[in-house]
Amino acid sequence: MKIHIYIYLLLVTGILISCSSDSEFLDRPPSNILTQSQVFNDPDIVLAVVADLYNRYNDFGTITNWPSIADFNVAFWSEAGQYGHFEDGGWGYGSWATWDYGYIRELNLFLQRLEESTELDEGVKSRFAAEGRFLRASYYFELVKRMGGVPLILEPLTYDFSGDPIYLRYPRAKESEIYDFVISEAEAIKDMLPADAGTKGRATKAAALAMEARAALYAGSIAKYGATTPQVSLSGGEVGIPVAMAPGYYNTALTAAQAIINGDAGNYALYTKITGDLSTNFASLFYDKSNNQEVIFVEDFKLKSGKVHGFTQVNQPRFNAEEEEGGRINPSLNLVESFETLDGQYAPLPIRDASGNLIEYEQADGLFAGRDARLEGTVIVPGSLFKGRPVDIFGGLQLADGSIVSGDSRGQEKQVPGSGDSQVQVVGFDGPIDRLEFTAQTGFYIRKYQDPKAGSGERGTGSDVWFVRYRYAEVLLNAAEAAFELGQPAVAAEYMNQVRSRAGITVPLTAGDVTFAKIVHERYVEFAFEGLYFFDLKRWRLADKVFDGVPISPEEITQNIGSPTKRETQVYGLYPYKIYNPGAAGNGYFTYRIVKPSAVTGADRFQLGNYYSEIGQGILNNNPLLVRNPNQ
Amino acid sequence: MLKQSAPILLGLFLLLVSQQTYAQERIEVSGSVTSGGNLSGSLPFINVLVKDSNRGTTTDFDGNYTISVDTDAILVFSYVGFKTKEVPVDGQTGINVVLEEDTAELDEVVVTGYSSQEKKSITGAISTVTADDLEKTHGGSTVSSGLAGTIPGVSFRMPDGRPGASASIQIRNMGNPLYVIDGIQQDQGQFNNLSPNDIASITVLKDASAAIYGVRAANGVVVVTTKRGKKGTRSTVNINAYTGWQNWTSFPSVVNDSYQYQLGVVEAQVNETGTSTISPEELEKYRIGTENGYQSFDWKDFIIKKNAPLTNINVAATGGSENINYYLSFTQLSQQAVLGDEWTFKRSNIQSNVDANITDNLQVGVQINGRIERRSNPGIPGADDYFLPRFAILRNRPFERPYANDNPEYLADIGHNETNWGLHNFKVGGYAQTDWRVLQTNFSAEYNIPFVDGLKIKGMYSYYIADRVTDGHEYTYDAFTYDAENDTYNRTGGSTNPWRERGTQKIIKNTYQGQINYKQSFGDHTVEALGIVERYDTRDFGTFVHSVPETNTLPLIYFPEIDTYNDYDNEEARIGYILRLNYNYKDKYYLEFSGRRDASWKFDPSKRVGYFPGGSAGWRITEEPFVQNLLGNESLLNNFKLRVSYGELGDDDLGDILGPYDYLTGYNYNQGSPAIFNDDAVVPARDKGQIVNNISWLKSKIFDIGADMYLFDNKLSATFDYFYRKRTGLPQAKYDVLVPSELGYGLPLENLSSDAQYGFEGALAYADKIGELSYNVSGNASVSRSKFLNSYKPRWNNSWDHYRSSGENRYNTIFWGLETIGQFQSEEQIADYEIDNDGEGNRTMLPGDLIYNDLNGDGRIDGYDEKPIGYNNFNPLVNFGFSLNLNYKHFDFTATFSGATGFSWNQNYETRWAYQNNGALNKIFLDRWRHADPYDASSEWLPGKYPPLRYNKGGHNSYRNSDFWLHNVWYLKSRTLELGYTMSKELLNKVNIQKCRFYINTNNLFRFDNLSQYGVDPEVAADNGLEYPQNSFVNLGVNLSL
Repeated sequence: MKIHIYIYLLLVTGILISCSSDSEFLDRPPSNILTQSQVFNDPDIVLAVVADLYNRYNDFGTITNWPSIADFNVAFWSEAGQYGHFEDGGWGYGSWATWDYGYIRELNLFLQRLEESTELDEGVKSRFAAEGRFLRASYYFELVKRMGGVPLILEPLTYDFSGDPIYLRYPRAKESEIYDFVISEAEAIKDMLPADAGTKGRATKAAALAMEARAALYAGSIAKYGATTPQVSLSGGEVGIPVAMAPGYYNTALTAAQAIINGDAGNYALYTKITGDLSTNFASLFYDKSNNQEVIFVEDFKLKSGKVHGFTQVNQPRFNAEEEEGGRINPSLNLVESFETLDGQYAPLPIRDASGNLIEYEQADGLFAGRDARLEGTVIVPGSLFKGRPVDIFGGLQLADGSIVSGDSRGQEKQVPGSGDSQVQVVGFDGPIDRLEFTAQTGFYIRKYQDPKAGSGERGTGSDVWFVRYRYAEVLLNAAEAAFELGQPAVAAEYMNQVRSRAGITVPLTAGDVTFAKIVHERYVEFAFEGLYFFDLKRWRLADKVFDGVPISPEEITQNIGSPTKRETQVYGLYPYKIYNPGAAGNGYFTYRIVKPSAVTGADRFQLGNYYSEIGQGILNNNPLLVRNPNQ
Repeated sequence: MLKQSAPILLGLFLLLVSQQTYAQERIEVSGSVTSGGNLSGSLPFINVLVKDSNRGTTTDFDGNYTISVDTDAILVFSYVGFKTKEVPVDGQTGINVVLEEDTAELDEVVVTGYSSQEKKSITGAISTVTADDLEKTHGGSTVSSGLAGTIPGVSFRMPDGRPGASASIQIRNMGNPLYVIDGIQQDQGQFNNLSPNDIASITVLKDASAAIYGVRAANGVVVVTTKRGKKGTRSTVNINAYTGWQNWTSFPSVVNDSYQYQLGVVEAQVNETGTSTISPEELEKYRIGTENGYQSFDWKDFIIKKNAPLTNINVAATGGSENINYYLSFTQLSQQAVLGDEWTFKRSNIQSNVDANITDNLQVGVQINGRIERRSNPGIPGADDYFLPRFAILRNRPFERPYANDNPEYLADIGHNETNWGLHNFKVGGYAQTDWRVLQTNFSAEYNIPFVDGLKIKGMYSYYIADRVTDGHEYTYDAFTYDAENDTYNRTGGSTNPWRERGTQKIIKNTYQGQINYKQSFGDHTVEALGIVERYDTRDFGTFVHSVPETNTLPLIYFPEIDTYNDYDNEEARIGYILRLNYNYKDKYYLEFSGRRDASWKFDPSKRVGYFPGGSAGWRITEEPFVQNLLGNESLLNNFKLRVSYGELGDDDLGDILGPYDYLTGYNYNQGSPAIFNDDAVVPARDKGQIVNNISWLKSKIFDIGADMYLFDNKLSATFDYFYRKRTGLPQAKYDVLVPSELGYGLPLENLSSDAQYGFEGALAYADKIGELSYNVSGNASVSRSKFLNSYKPRWNNSWDHYRSSGENRYNTIFWGLETIGQFQSEEQIADYEIDNDGEGNRTMLPGDLIYNDLNGDGRIDGYDEKPIGYNNFNPLVNFGFSLNLNYKHFDFTATFSGATGFSWNQNYETRWAYQNNGALNKIFLDRWRHADPYDASSEWLPGKYPPLRYNKGGHNSYRNSDFWLHNVWYLKSRTLELGYTMSKELLNKVNIQKCRFYINTNNLFRFDNLSQYGVDPEVAADNGLEYPQNSFVNLGVNLSL
């Protein structure tokens, strides 16, 4: 009977379907997951974990998030969605908060698992461990800068699901204890790390010492200047450091910085490769990756690796840019005015002569001649070059009668008196055009961190300029400040003069010239757009004075240059105007006027409650032992 | 492993096919079939089947048939619209049959879960669309785009109408449904890109009847059946072809007059600062509009082409001998966008369904479905190439022009060149192309076990492969400024960034199914049992490459230019065991139970299995003698069935909340971008974090009670349903134990919170004849709303937080905003106004600005004054549709309408404030508050609808979310309007043509709604109406049967 064959066959089919075990069928191994033992028995894979931990290093300001390095009115943000930041009057208490204990837990887990692994070579293990501790200390440093003292957790915690999490509650440590931890960790690991100035992307001895110097300097100044704002403290020491601890910290800072200066950590020096053009030399120190002796520790990038950034793309001068965008960071006139003359004097930009008439300059950048080389190393001024082409910044034509004709689109042409039937360009292709995003709405673009390589402004290619976290100039100025605070102004002057002469300033400071104000100013111009300015203002307790909520008058911009308490509540700009008077002398020359971008309507106020960021309500709810920060 | 058993199955199948059939003693029966109703006459194409076998034939043109049968066989005569008749052969050789019309279609067969049932015995909430309905809808290129308003309980929304676009359809607003095509679980893309011509029916399972599909059925199931040939029918070739012309239904309009634009700028500046940077003389130049730079240009007219074509041609051959039936079909569709002939969608489909009886008891089948889709358009910066051309209309200002000196050789530098339409073409911009190539083959075998009456076993194996290739190349380009003085074109803008990318993806699915089915009647009792084993797995893998090429011209990608290479490979696997039992007493009482045990690879091995039981019951009250006595011979109520169902359904798709390997410890390799150490890129690996191993299916419990009825001699049919779906086990982390944040991880998610979706739906249909005019009208409506029920021990910071943030036992999709109570009428009113309306002492207020209700009475307007003012959902809570069909002699007419309400549109961005992003001025702002003299801030105020203009000031107080800007939408759209003419048979028979019908058809021709004034289609989701809107269609077509 053939029928039976079919029955059997179909039965077999049914059995086939049900015979391979269900769990076998359902087990589908993942394609991208490694087990813990696969990871910790292979140094190359441990390095992959380390790579992730480095990637999560928490920078306050970084080139991958362009507004973060241009905040606090050192620049206007020329992007329509950002104008609100210049309309409001300050910052919420929650601003700048960070509380990433997930990262800390992973660092602790990493250190624990590394310790437990048996297959790794001791030397390899020791360096990895030091790197883990360096990253952990770096994040605690970031936490203490922003939040004050935080729970110091150095073991991976685990909840036992018992319903009673009390054993997991840790109180906030004292602010000083966190700084002490950062310092002691740096001391403990510095000799486990290579003393190699060629290593920039991973921790080195110099990176540990630079972190130690910065942390100790911050702690010292909080101890000293915190005394001027006694309200900014908590009785348990979670916020505020006793003034008596200041000298100790300054000593630590000086010692650590001098260890680098003395060459204990490798061969570091100021970057001075380009001798003819000191501005380009200064700009170049941020993008020259070849044997760069100044740079100590960076977040590195690489073309065609999957790790590039778009800083140049979003900030390149807009005219003839490689992409249809750019121009977002527009440095403020306030910052530009603070660069000294080459003989080391504070002097406003010479816009008018003694009798009050506008001075006419033949070249658009003529106004900026004879200034600290860092000005044009940091800022693209009207008429200067970027990628070999001039930046076309002028706000309008100044006609023979002194009136002004302008336009509302880049490079706009109009008929003007004297042009006859033809049209002439009435505004620069780079702006400035008020409220037109991506144009230089202050009259300036940023140069620091812009990548001069072709293609760096393209979305598809991007830039591999690294972000510098520690560099030798900061070590010098940290040492100078510590020395000054310890009553060694001659030492301070020596370190500061190295930095200043690299900027082309011809008259050295004497020991008597070194003042607190001078130190504040030097750091302001040297470290603009590097993410350090804010913490300087905080640790010196200057922020509430500089941002007092009072609008700035145009006159004020040119007054009190170099004063540490100079008001910075608003962003100002400077527009060049091209003289249009065909046939007459001075046709095509430039005059300048101080303007305030119309989007700047608020005046920033830094409240005492802003000195330490608010700990989120959810975090407080979860741990009743945490105390709130003061004045909030 | 089962994967290896696929070839074995195939081998078995071939073995089965190769076996010879064997014959039995039979007699030849012949006869004619005629109609007994109003349409008396011979009936062609009537199905004549031998009961309990797979054999059959159909009648010819004259209603005659011939079939060879066993002497004791029973013949079943059936056709849609007629009552089925069974006639025992009893040795007769001539059987003439008269069929009664049956408007109630009670015996119509509906494909439900894994099998089909007669309509009268259905006890679940099930709706069906048939080929007849689908063939008349030409509303786009995908299946879903034609479903508006056709199925009660199915919400329809099509926010994007570009070539090849699909609509979002949801069953009872429950979320994305599961699609099952010819018995195989499939994705939405496969459903949408079937050729509508090949679909025999679409059935929607809305309640516990979906439970048989188990773990992915929680949001309902859409079951699709493709057409098959009929045994014993002559071969027929059907040709369906139409061509149509599309135009956008609506799109925001902008001011294309430079003077009006700049006048508004002057007003805005004067309103803000008291003065304007545009002098009256300059404004006058714009008014005259002849001088270079002061002219006007209509970008919308420049970009949008009219009457974009769509053509579709389908050729299908169908028929069958006594033992083999087939359906073979080819469809070619081509659709253009209104942006021009470079913006296209093309699709070719084949469908080949063949069934063969190998013996009386053994049937095998092969179904092949294949398609090639191509989406092609210019490649321009940004992710969606269709975005910038639309955005250009809202962005480009009227005095900007596409070409420098109007010379098309030179793209003008307009300062924001990515929205310059002159760039958006293959020549200057680049190209982007996506191809899908898909092939699905199903092999099945069904065997009637001869010794046990009513026992069948069935096996099926399906292999699916989909292949996607995307290719994109955005070119470098130059943009120019014309220098009139020197007659030169200077490059002043453009991009030097070439962007070349290619992505490939392959999806391979296997489905293995074994079924056993038993159906038998014992007197008045009929029982049916169905058991199924099902396994299915999916592998989805692909790569993506990006390069920065040196040239715009060559199509290949070269290794040194590559800077990105991504690779992925994911698998899924699921297993189901299914049991269904049906009991039916005298076609009066029905009971059904179904249960399913499902396992999904996604969960921890200990949590993989879930059980999904469902049951339903039906009672045909009109079959009860006492009811029949009560009704007497009156045919007032012909049929009334009450049905109720309850079931649990599952869902293993927890979105981003639960990934497939969240239960494993270890490290994710390739997490984020690499780290660069000494110029080496190191791929990072990250600890996966706390495992989630205590989570499993979320459970969806659906209760449905409904009634189906036929009244007035079966002319009126009605069906109503109320349903309530409760989902429990929605993922949430417990927080009655507050774990310090310093722990470094949160408590894992568990199956804790719950929500509900409930509502009702109904449908009515009436069919009758007046003389030679037959007509039917039908309508349906549904309401479905979701409510959050409970979370696990919720906490609030304070009572306001509770009021504002709580979802507990509250409707979802609430939009919060301020309530407007008017507009300021004068400066005096503002000066005297005591409530701080703008938080700045009303110093920013002008006449025409919005006045908000100070809900909490604290004298100032802020977030605390917000209240619910509408919905934040886009899927409408209320859907309705109705249709009309007329037939008169050779003419037929169809009209369908659909509508919806219960959703909101939030007028925002370009449509809320003027000069948003320095762009064009929306025409709605011509109706605004303004000064009589635009340059004089002290001149009289003239009232208008909108607040006085400010320049690109979205932060202004009048532009806060309020009921001035939020519109609760309703619409009623004309969908299909079709007039057809069928040529007479007498004429056609002479040229050997069975049928020839011509028609003119429209879709979306007109609508009624409350959003037309804003230039947006009521189905858009974008706040600024910037989506590619739906099209209105005018089509001409022909149906031909040879």
